[in-house]
Amino acid sequence: MMRELRYRDKNTAIHQLNPVVKLAWAATIIVLSLIFDHPLYVMVLLGTTITLLKSANVWREWIPLLKLSLWLGASIIVINAMVSCHGNHVLVIAPFTLPVLGQAVITMEAIAFSAAMAVKLLVIISAFAFVNLTVHPDDIMSILIKMKLPYKSVLVTSLSTRFIPCLIEDMQRINDAYRTRGMRLDTGSWFRRLKNRAGIIIPLLSSSLDRAVQIAEAMEARAFGARQKRTFYKDIKFSRMDRITLVFILLPCGVGITMRIFNYGGYEYYPSLSIINLSSFILLSLVILTLLLLAILPLAILQRRIEFD
Amino acid sequence: MIKLRDFTFTYNGTVQPALQNVSLTIEDGEFILITGSSGGGKSTLCRCFNGLVPHFYGGIISGRAEVQGMDILRTPPKELATKVGMVFQDPENQLVTSNVEREIAFGLENLGFPISLIARRIEEALDTAGIANLRVRKHHELSGGEKQKVAIASVLALHPEVLVLDEPTSELDPQSAEEVLRLLERLNDELGITIIVVEHRLDRVVHLVDRVLVMNEGSIQANGQPREVMNTDALGPGKPPVIRLMQRLRVKGLKLGKLPLTVKEARLELQKVLRNISRSEFTDDRLYTKPVLKVDKLWFSYGDRAVLRNIKMTINKGEFTAIMGRNASGKTTLVKHLNGLLKPGKGRVIIGGIDTSQHSVAELSRQVGYVFQNPNDHLFADTVEEEVAFSLRNQGSEEAQINKSVERILNQFRLARYRQSYPRNLSGGEKQRLALASVLVTRPKIIILDEPTRGMDYALKLELIGFLTDYCKRGNSVVMVTHDVETVAECADRVILLSEGRVVVDGNKREVLSKALLFSPQINRLAQALSRFGISDTTLTIDEMIGQIV
Repeated sequence: MMRELRYRDKNTAIHQLNPVVKLAWAATIIVLSLIFDHPLYVMVLLGTTITLLKSANVWREWIPLLKLSLWLGASIIVINAMVSCHGNHVLVIAPFTLPVLGQAVITMEAIAFSAAMAVKLLVIISAFAFVNLTVHPDDIMSILIKMKLPYKSVLVTSLSTRFIPCLIEDMQRINDAYRTRGMRLDTGSWFRRLKNRAGIIIPLLSSSLDRAVQIAEAMEARAFGARQKRTFYKDIKFSRMDRITLVFILLPCGVGITMRIFNYGGYEYYPSLSIINLSSFILLSLVILTLLLLAILPLAILQRRIEFD
Repeated sequence: MIKLRDFTFTYNGTVQPALQNVSLTIEDGEFILITGSSGGGKSTLCRCFNGLVPHFYGGIISGRAEVQGMDILRTPPKELATKVGMVFQDPENQLVTSNVEREIAFGLENLGFPISLIARRIEEALDTAGIANLRVRKHHELSGGEKQKVAIASVLALHPEVLVLDEPTSELDPQSAEEVLRLLERLNDELGITIIVVEHRLDRVVHLVDRVLVMNEGSIQANGQPREVMNTDALGPGKPPVIRLMQRLRVKGLKLGKLPLTVKEARLELQKVLRNISRSEFTDDRLYTKPVLKVDKLWFSYGDRAVLRNIKMTINKGEFTAIMGRNASGKTTLVKHLNGLLKPGKGRVIIGGIDTSQHSVAELSRQVGYVFQNPNDHLFADTVEEEVAFSLRNQGSEEAQINKSVERILNQFRLARYRQSYPRNLSGGEKQRLALASVLVTRPKIIILDEPTRGMDYALKLELIGFLTDYCKRGNSVVMVTHDVETVAECADRVILLSEGRVVVDGNKREVLSKALLFSPQINRLAQALSRFGISDTTLTIDEMIGQIV
């Protein structure tokens, strides 16, 4: 899955957008998913994120992440439903007791609340995936440097992410070597399995350290740290069109925060699920929010045309 | 110019110097080959040229070392970077950014060059290395050879006067290695850059260089023009096959002129002395008819990509089989099916009557041993003794049996005196022996080796070949994935050639390796050219060639 989540230049209008704009869009989605509780608003956020992933042609790469999120979501629903005994509408009273928590009572409210949380989690994971799949890792590094974060720390972070796939390959290879020596990794109690797997830590650590030394050598040999001030060949430039796009992207964030201040976009799950009132204001705000969040698409196409001309 | 005078260097925490009284002068524009045994000090010497020794590693130094007029003791590597460029062995672990253009810019950015100059230098470096088409590619989309060219370009962008390369081709397939060496030749010829390259495969490079340095135990054993050095004993048996052939022919009394460095030179020399001889044909009389492993209509895919397509083959008892083919032809994927590490998508793999899809890797390890390319991947235990006993314990052997088997294998692989040592502290050759011992201790009927000779010096290679041929003689089977045609010609019985996941040739090594263009050893290429004199064009080894000529 790590390989599938790597950036690939798909040559779409979204890929060619300024990376700051895409980061701002993902940040807006994350902020809104954190502040909105109302299921309809959360669904709008999910719908717009999926539309963008589809427009950027990274839909296929997102599918494995969707599957992972569904598993995570299912776990959240099961655990929350078992653990939380709030809510007026009891669906099941389990014939067993849980340690500390007592008798497990499953309520409709607990299921609805955890389902909403699972969707929020999916939105946040998808927003991160959007950034990962459409922004070049070196561009993220450039943005962080532009934000005045120390270059060395940013480089270390970037190197760590670049070498994660290598680390996974090392682990797989050492795991294979371990199995070919007759070690059973998938049989026995979980404690036995954990203990058996612990054996690969030393070779893995050793190969990672070797790698780290080799990279450090290569950097030193290419004058890393030779000058106090270093230049950046690929600097992130900000055009007027980028600024306009950025305003459109930050607008829904402002709208969302204002709505929450005036107590719109909230939803009560406990003690009973509130009625979803589709008032004209709510419908209008949903439409406006959707349009503002999707404004990035026509703006990206327009920007591409301007650059092409 | 590079000047070393009585230079001695000892790494921190060690007693034995890695370099001992090294005195050496390298003139501007020379092409130097450094070779010698593993652990002989070649890499340490290379790291002196750009100041990584002593500034990066630290240690005790005596003597003097000057590089392009700068004292390396007073000049850190970052300052030497514009004078000496260095390219390392592993192409993956020297690329810092994530795409080609940014990689080339990295060193220039570190030096604070203006953007316009960086842009110009990138263009120059891309063109010089012949990789302009890769400009926007990401590293994970590149082959090993392309990555190594990117590493060279990223160093060239700094306009170095000296380019040092530490085993740049050891991780590459033969074609990629050839391309990298051709690039080095061009950089030396056309741009006058001093090239210093460490290489074990002398046949690839000896004819390109002006001077050869042979290093052993930290000192220079020989230093001179290629022919001079090849005429000494400094390299032991590690000379290219044509050179060994010609030297042995001289000993047998044949009057030959100058020592040849290439197949062409050897051909021209031999043409002068050869008279028509009666053609002799070689037949390999050993027949292997007892199947121990059968692959039947095997298909395998990674996602949508088919990697193995309808593979059918049989491995026989006592047979030494080499699996060859270009990179990504499916070699490693195929052998991973032979011990159950991968299960067939379609088809079956049967070992001694057992279907691999029904059994775990641990169960199959009793029958099939697997040696990975990097011996470090095999080392899990705290002592050599425990390392060897590890597989036996996993198989549930009794303590008395374990002690007996460990004793036997430690003696056989000359590791008994290291029994209490920490495995990772052993030398490269000892680790290789330990990796092999730890697999062979369970006496598997079949042993699989994935690129075991890559980056190995000739002496170690000979040792490995010795162990493996001896193992086959005892009625066991060896399957070896390799690019090393010379080793295959020496020791294999049979060669399977893969291409795009299919078996394209499967036959006796003589049928496959002779009369081929890419997969033929040096001696066979010479024999093909001399066939009009009656030399058999199926000749593969030096002994066979000498037998016909003398």
